[in-house]
Amino acid sequence: MDTIKQIEQLILQNKVDIFLGYKDLDGHLIPHGFTKENLDELKDLQISDNRYSLEKVATHLTEKNPDIKIGIIARDCNKRALNLLYTWNQLNPENIETIDVNCCPSPLKSHSDCSYLEPRQSGEFKKENGVDYNIEPEAFMGKFDNNERLTRWMYEFNKCIKCYGCRNICPVCFCKECSLEHPNLVEPGTLPVEVPIFHLIRAAHMAGRCIDCGLCEEACPAHIPLRLLYREVNEIVSNVFDYKPGCSDEKSPFSVLGGDVVLEPKPMDFKYKEKNNGL
Amino acid sequence: MTVKRIAFVQELLKFIGLEGRLHLEWISSAEAQKFVEVVTNFTEKIRAMGPNPLGIETVANGAMKYGHN
Repeated sequence: MDTIKQIEQLILQNKVDIFLGYKDLDGHLIPHGFTKENLDELKDLQISDNRYSLEKVATHLTEKNPDIKIGIIARDCNKRALNLLYTWNQLNPENIETIDVNCCPSPLKSHSDCSYLEPRQSGEFKKENGVDYNIEPEAFMGKFDNNERLTRWMYEFNKCIKCYGCRNICPVCFCKECSLEHPNLVEPGTLPVEVPIFHLIRAAHMAGRCIDCGLCEEACPAHIPLRLLYREVNEIVSNVFDYKPGCSDEKSPFSVLGGDVVLEPKPMDFKYKEKNNGL
Repeated sequence: MTVKRIAFVQELLKFIGLEGRLHLEWISSAEAQKFVEVVTNFTEKIRAMGPNPLGIETVANGAMKYGHN
């Protein structure tokens, strides 16, 4: 396959130290780092509609070694995430090489490698009592009054099992300290989680940051329509602050980070590297 | 910036169904009269809206039509 040749070249020419893609392991595609040492693994590299936040792996690698050169499979959502991580200084664009893969569907293409082409379907009970995955924020606002909106969101939020999957999968969650683990905001070690505050904290943090990849919604075992919620917060940021994350070279003007808040992003400086060399 | 941040939170609360329960006003320490007016109006507004719906069990459980607990 052409793409695999391209990746092989990148690795052989030392343009990247590691290439992040998906490897076929007993029929399951898992995220994998391909390197020069294990070049024969490239035959197992597969490009499909499987998605994982490879950018997150890239930020973790960069934390440990800021100079590492990383190649990465990129769809549109990956590129938006990378762009956002560049603006927040979590990754250096000079150290990242992307290999573009098919994304949007078109009759001109043989296929597309993206799962969000088939949106998750809501069941009858969810449509009746909760929030439909596929409703547009505007339609949701128009259809239900204040009280019904609250009841419906509470139905969704109450299902939360506090697995932190939405945060863990999120390619743009990179805070050194996570508010969702701050004992003053979220009581540690107890279930059920306090709603709606848990989800509102995350929603506020996603404002101006969420790049609408939809991985959180895919990951959520409780089927909470998180993407819809974060879409709405981004819409508000777009209306109030005129900012669209992932498409801009600048940081969001609305941010719960920055200022004298302790939730600063992880630094990529030398000191940090030294400190973590032992790991 | 504050006015925009508050606008953000107001819109977020509106989306999940807690509209009208957050208010921002600039009042100087010399404007006692204005302070009284704003606080009185807001108190009356909230009283008319009733208690926090999150305190009502069926709402907090997200159970509206079927009443499952």
